[in-house]
Amino acid sequence: MPVSTLSALPTASQLDIAGALTTLLRDTTTEARPDTQLEALTLAVAADLPVLLWGEPGIGKTAALTQLADDLGLPLTTVIASVHEPSDFSGLPVVGDDPAEQGVPMAPPDWAVRLVRAGHGLLFLDELSTAPPAVQAALLRLVLERRVGALQLPPGVRIVAAANPRSSAADGWELSPPLANRFVHLQWTHDQDVVVRGLGGTWPRATLPRLRPERLGEAVDFARRAVCGLLAARPALVHRLPSGETRRGGPWPSPRSWDMTLTLIAFATAAGVSRDVLSLLVRGTVGDGPGLELLAAVDRLDLPDPETLLADPAAAVLPERGDLRQAVLDGVVAAVRNRLDRSRWDAAWTLLVRAVETGAPDLVVVPATTLAALRREEWDVPPSIEALTGVVSVSRRAEDAAARAAVATKGRR
Amino acid sequence: MTGGELDRDKLFAARLQAVRARPFLATALFALHVVESRRVPTMAVDRYWRCYVSPWFVDRTPVEELAGAWVHEVSHLLRDHHGRGDRFARQEGLTGPGERLRMNIAADCEINDDVYGDGLAAPEGAVWPGTLGLPEGKLMEEYLRLFRLGSRTQDFAWLDCGSGSDGLDREWDLGPDGAHGLSEQERDAVRFRVAQGITGRPGHAPRAWKRWAEEAFHPPQAWRDLLGAAVRSAVSGPGAGDDYSYGRPSRRSAGLPGVILPSLRRRPPRVSVVIDTSGSVSDAELGSALLEVSAITRAVGGRRDLVSVLSCDAAARVVHPLCRAEGIPLVGGGGTDLRTGFARALRTHPRPDVVVALTDGQTPWPSDRPACRTVVGLFDRPDRGSWVEDDPDYVPDSPPAWARVVNIG
Repeated sequence: MPVSTLSALPTASQLDIAGALTTLLRDTTTEARPDTQLEALTLAVAADLPVLLWGEPGIGKTAALTQLADDLGLPLTTVIASVHEPSDFSGLPVVGDDPAEQGVPMAPPDWAVRLVRAGHGLLFLDELSTAPPAVQAALLRLVLERRVGALQLPPGVRIVAAANPRSSAADGWELSPPLANRFVHLQWTHDQDVVVRGLGGTWPRATLPRLRPERLGEAVDFARRAVCGLLAARPALVHRLPSGETRRGGPWPSPRSWDMTLTLIAFATAAGVSRDVLSLLVRGTVGDGPGLELLAAVDRLDLPDPETLLADPAAAVLPERGDLRQAVLDGVVAAVRNRLDRSRWDAAWTLLVRAVETGAPDLVVVPATTLAALRREEWDVPPSIEALTGVVSVSRRAEDAAARAAVATKGRR
Repeated sequence: MTGGELDRDKLFAARLQAVRARPFLATALFALHVVESRRVPTMAVDRYWRCYVSPWFVDRTPVEELAGAWVHEVSHLLRDHHGRGDRFARQEGLTGPGERLRMNIAADCEINDDVYGDGLAAPEGAVWPGTLGLPEGKLMEEYLRLFRLGSRTQDFAWLDCGSGSDGLDREWDLGPDGAHGLSEQERDAVRFRVAQGITGRPGHAPRAWKRWAEEAFHPPQAWRDLLGAAVRSAVSGPGAGDDYSYGRPSRRSAGLPGVILPSLRRRPPRVSVVIDTSGSVSDAELGSALLEVSAITRAVGGRRDLVSVLSCDAAARVVHPLCRAEGIPLVGGGGTDLRTGFARALRTHPRPDVVVALTDGQTPWPSDRPACRTVVGLFDRPDRGSWVEDDPDYVPDSPPAWARVVNIG
């Protein structure tokens, strides 16, 4: 009932007025706002990997799941783990005619039956950490094997679990390393701005990532190159059990979690999401250290190949960012050193000249010095090197300043 | 010289000198994007790794001091001063530009006491902890609790290292959408590469930077949380605490005649705390750790009479129930042999579910895994792992793998 008609009716009951007030409070709008954690969750759920959301109670995990379910067109079933008994997940025994002959069937609870009948749905297991250990054990079987009693959940059902962080969990919920290794761990945090704006009447609306059918092949290729490239160069990262109390129960690298990472990179690439989303997923699967190494390797995959640059130095496009540009120039000089001949050496000088013309001169000093040292006696200095005189003067200025600084600091001590 | 152009060659010569003096910072220094700005007093950074430079400042400052300024500014970003400033402001409810100036000063104190020297000159007018009458070697957060704005900080009112140093957006900032900003992931990647460079080649970087590198991606967790989690997990594991048991039928059994269902039973955990009372552990350390353990066990349902305390040096002493914790006489001194303490704790009837040992680790350990969960609270000794001068062969045993070890202190 509109408010105006209500006020016109002096006889309206208190409950009607209360209802009108509630309606007014519910009357909120939404605004588009990128949400990296929701995008990461969407991709992990789409990839059908077990996700564990770590977050304090009351920060909108359920609200996020509701939006995700809406967007994927899946009915949402929320099961609060702490109010159930283990038999609710491992099946309730039902006595038949002759238990000795036919056994005692384990009957699944109603929500599981409804899920199986629907064939699809989003199952959210909330409050995993406040359930007694036996319930947690039963739940893990549900998450990892997708079985409730004798019932196998169909592939269309996606499962997400949530737990409170160790420091705030009232009792000792903790994942053992083998279990932790099977999950994609996402830290769920709230953004103060979002909460303030939401309570003011405008909640965020995230556009969720869409997988693009035309990019699937490219995505798988990219994911394989990234993971295999890193693991071939860093065999120690393939399997590393977490050590120490601090990192217990968190993500760590193993062949299983690398496999999950590969899947997630492929999904992230096919959806074209930002690196920040990819970073949440990768670090939530293999841990911070190995995850960051992988991301650095992915960044390097994007850098131009030294051989391509040497083949056509006049058309070379160097990265704008200084540290990446320096990595490329170092790579070029290393490539020349590996297979040294006159034309490659000249091409590298042309590249260095381009680098000076388009960016900061100090980046070029080290590559130029190294390249100069590679010169064979019979090779003439290329005329283009004239353009590098500025580099030499920058280098000399830095040396003079270093000498002055050395004198000054010595004087002070 | 306000109308002058930015002397880029001078600025970059300074960066080159900075890279030569601190090679482990090269990635970070090169990742900074230079923006010429006439509105910054000297040099400033924003949280997206842009470096705003005043042409006038470059003109006026010698190259070696500019090099120091480069390293100073990049240190703000590597040490995440803007994020830490924001968090501190939120925790303590601080608002206003005055507080942000204080954060800038505190951040500068954290950086300046170990960044200069060894090839880098300090810019004129830099803030030192000593200038403010503060001790050296503290963190930004610690400095923030130590001083207020006043006559001593008067000279630094002009100080402005940008939003990258204190988290307050400036009007000259290009913001998140401006050109050449680094995304959060890119910032993490740069910081990670620098940290990796330092930990991969120890010996090249000063101690403060090594500490930064170790903690950059694994900030030390509060030992109280860790000890709490370890003890909670030990006392609530299967066999102790709340769990399902077939000892009594479940209330649901009425509906299923002939079927035995487990019911939820509560068996409060028994906890034995073995305390190392050898001379090397201070009373204050012991007191705080003991209080912590008893608070945790009480919170998870252990009745106070189920927690007992055992002091142990070379021999195990009397067992005290925690009811008298306020007045537990911690007797001992001299060397330690925790093995007797463990043996004594395990001999008590009924047997404990959990043994918590609080020690500095200068002790032999039981060779076999005891028949209960074990949590070891290890008091931090900075020289652990190094050798003793009189006895270079002496290496204290590290706690065995079967114990959950939490570093305290």
